[in-house]
Amino acid sequence: MKKFLLIPLAAACSFAQPVIAPTNEQTGNPRGDNTPEYNIIQSFELGYRFVSTGGDTGMYDSTVNYRNGIRLLASSLVVQSRDGQGRFFDHLLITTQGLGNDPYQSAVLRVEKNRLYRYGMIWRLTQYVDPALTVSYGEHAMNTTRTMQDHDFTLFPDRAFQLFLGYSRNLETGPALTTIQLFNEQGDEYPLFANVHRQVNEYRLGGELHVLGMRIHLMHGWENYKENSPQSLTAPSAGNNTTDLNTLTSFQSTQPIHGTSPYWRVGLFREGGKYWAVNGRFTYVAGKNAFSLDELAAGTAFRGGATQQIVTYGNADRPALTANLTVTLFPSDHIDLTNQTSFSNIRMIGNAYFTEFVSGFQASPVLPFQYLGIHTLSNSTDLLYHPSKWLSIHGGFEYSDRHIGSVQGQSNLGDPPPTQEAIEQTNQLKAGTLGFRLKPLKGFTISVDGEVGRENKPIYPISDGNYQAFRARVEYRTKLLRLDAYAKSDYNINSDALTSYASHARQYGADASWTPLSWFAIDASYAKLHLTTLGGINYFAKGKDVSGDSSYYISNIHSAVLGARFAIRKRVDLYMGYSHIQDVGDGRTTPYGAGLYTSSPAFQAVQSFPLRYLSPQFRLSIRINPKLRWNAGYQYYGYREQFSALQNYLANTGYSSLAFSF
Amino acid sequence: MRLLRVFLFALVSSALAQAADYVGSEACKVCHTAVYNQFFRNPHYSRIAGGAETAENPGCESCHGPGKAHIEARGGKATIVAFSEIGPEKTLDACLRCHSQTLSRANIRRSVHTREDIVCTNCHSVHNSKSPRFLLVKKQTELCTSCHASVKMQFAMPFKHRVNEGVVECTDCHNPHGTFAPSWRMASRPRMVDQKEANEEPCLKCHADKRGPFVYEHASVRVDGCEICHMPHGSTNAKMLTRPAIFTLCLECHNGAGSFGRTASGVIHTPSTHNLADPRYQNCTTCHARIHGSNADPFFLR
Repeated sequence: MKKFLLIPLAAACSFAQPVIAPTNEQTGNPRGDNTPEYNIIQSFELGYRFVSTGGDTGMYDSTVNYRNGIRLLASSLVVQSRDGQGRFFDHLLITTQGLGNDPYQSAVLRVEKNRLYRYGMIWRLTQYVDPALTVSYGEHAMNTTRTMQDHDFTLFPDRAFQLFLGYSRNLETGPALTTIQLFNEQGDEYPLFANVHRQVNEYRLGGELHVLGMRIHLMHGWENYKENSPQSLTAPSAGNNTTDLNTLTSFQSTQPIHGTSPYWRVGLFREGGKYWAVNGRFTYVAGKNAFSLDELAAGTAFRGGATQQIVTYGNADRPALTANLTVTLFPSDHIDLTNQTSFSNIRMIGNAYFTEFVSGFQASPVLPFQYLGIHTLSNSTDLLYHPSKWLSIHGGFEYSDRHIGSVQGQSNLGDPPPTQEAIEQTNQLKAGTLGFRLKPLKGFTISVDGEVGRENKPIYPISDGNYQAFRARVEYRTKLLRLDAYAKSDYNINSDALTSYASHARQYGADASWTPLSWFAIDASYAKLHLTTLGGINYFAKGKDVSGDSSYYISNIHSAVLGARFAIRKRVDLYMGYSHIQDVGDGRTTPYGAGLYTSSPAFQAVQSFPLRYLSPQFRLSIRINPKLRWNAGYQYYGYREQFSALQNYLANTGYSSLAFSF
Repeated sequence: MRLLRVFLFALVSSALAQAADYVGSEACKVCHTAVYNQFFRNPHYSRIAGGAETAENPGCESCHGPGKAHIEARGGKATIVAFSEIGPEKTLDACLRCHSQTLSRANIRRSVHTREDIVCTNCHSVHNSKSPRFLLVKKQTELCTSCHASVKMQFAMPFKHRVNEGVVECTDCHNPHGTFAPSWRMASRPRMVDQKEANEEPCLKCHADKRGPFVYEHASVRVDGCEICHMPHGSTNAKMLTRPAIFTLCLECHNGAGSFGRTASGVIHTPSTHNLADPRYQNCTTCHARIHGSNADPFFLR
């Protein structure tokens, strides 16, 4: 019994900082109740959430978003046939979370008849709120709901021949605010209302065949994408720049998009027993989007009336092919040698008829087009050597070669498109890894890894150039105690004539979980996440070209998570947790700091973003009888930016619930 | 011909001898009663219930090996395949005997977890699973963050994917069994990020509107992937950007320098009309609203 208690305690505490509800403690008989044919384990938690907020409620909605109300906080039902010979099914699983109006809801259904069929469904709903936070300097607010569902049916699972049917749906709807820039490049930006409606339907049909020791997998799918998010102006607007006289008096835009991405996937697998294994995969996706845009704007520009209508339609194609072949050799019981060759070829081709009417006059319609092709060939070899049970050594080398071809241009409508050679560029990566894992004592592990990579032509200044990554971890683990300390670093340097870019990311942390007593467990984590980036920039300010400045960003995040759980007389469970995130930046006391790397106050003010985000919580769970628990909990959220109080908020959230099993 | 007969005799004798070493799961029940009585919950039980397997495949001995010697020795870890004793490489081999031939595990031999000796039994528990799905040792989020502590901290940031809230799971984006070479970022890194068809970023599974194809692609999305601008685990920026303000992020590439960019002539510079001292021009996506790709404007304005 003591062991039975200890294991749940240890497990409950090794959490990332959870939300306060649903309750982690389970009710009912963990071994379930038996009927002649089935064993049933089930529980339901019904409760009420309460919330009070202060400060910027938009920020609360964006980061937490729980509301008052009754919820089915969680439920679980597992029905299992006792002899594997159930009449209609052998295994049924239903779990739900947050049903009733939580912003994050999910449900899982899985039903299976051994070796005859298996059906799995996952349904999820997320409410996404972005109230145009000033932190992003945006005017793009959203209050959308995303609903996703995945259905997968397998006929004859675990047999030599299987059939797959699948369907997935992803729907995003809701109001949003966005912006449009009109009427020309010297114009203004105007806020618009958008009614977001995006929908993906994916259908899958496939099968697997096990023949001659090889498994062959074939899947054909169709992914259809539909978007129609019309935009309109709700009231005449003077735009963001109120010093100019441009106005927008009416605006409407529709931009329906219909896309389809039929795909094929073929896989071959063979574990050749003691000495080798091989698998290969081939995929082809023929992505295609057809679209049209009709935009009509009216207002004043350059102190005169202006109307602008833009009509564009066309299509974009993205055929993508990938192929992978992996061969693993086992020359001895202690050596695994794996080689993978991969090839991907993605071509993006688009053209759009474009015409524009400005104040009633039609500009020459044009046919813009673009091509972007990326094909990559890579080969990696990894060696894993276990000379003994307490030591393993691994190393690897990867070579990757990428070609990018690019064409951008336009022709007058009716004219043949000008012949343009694609601008080609090639990048090669050579990277090596080396590491070891040492287990000098039972439960004690030391692991060290390093990787060094060199690219000869990174595509962007902030892309991987000359990089090195290093990881080290020491862990001691027993059934009741886990101590873990780690250090990681990722350095990247990418230089060119006018700009040099360097990023240094370092992470240090320690993590401990301990269950010293049968009724007490504790979990504590601390991490320091450090990031410094420095990149040369060049921009215009007040008409002058500013060069020689650098974009500098420093983040020093100290994060701590603490949790403790007490079990009192096998009847009462008490959980207390605390999460503290603090970015101290470079320690500056004013938004502009020491004025390093740039003389521009705007750039100085975004070199670091000191803030504090903390969240203490406690939860009480009382077992009233073996099938009923009463739970209550409280969680506080406090968000505070150091240099601006506009977005700061605090929130008191809590819940009370009954968890029951019947 | 004689050689063939000798070979066949040896093969059959070996098979018969091996089959004789298998005693069946009922024999295990005598000592391991508690494990046996709960085994009907286990997905592996379907092999026993099906009754169509060869002697060595169903039940306890399919994983633990033939039990005759174990019974004759009256127990002991030396006479049976005990997963606490056999080390990571043998554990992996034992599980892959049945579980190797699926797409999701096609890269397990080269995965970072395997390289680090994190094998099946580190995450899955056949007999003491705490999760009704996939026989996980713990709930998935707890399980992953018990090693990936720094990631746990990133999910405590104010802006993050809703993993702690239970609506997103680590395996929505990652494949702990290893992945094929990605189609972005030189097919090299990241190594454990799951992929959509054509080895595309997993972000597109949910954020389908960013997928395109577009007439005008923002090449960075395709070439270097979403994480060149975003921090998917958590960030102090509402859009989960790698910088607190967007204009610094944009300018770090859009500075016209060197031979960067899709045309190898420097990434297009901001024009002289963009006065970066004016807050209007520090909000790049206010005008460039379709920054992930556009069908109507090469500068992503609509």
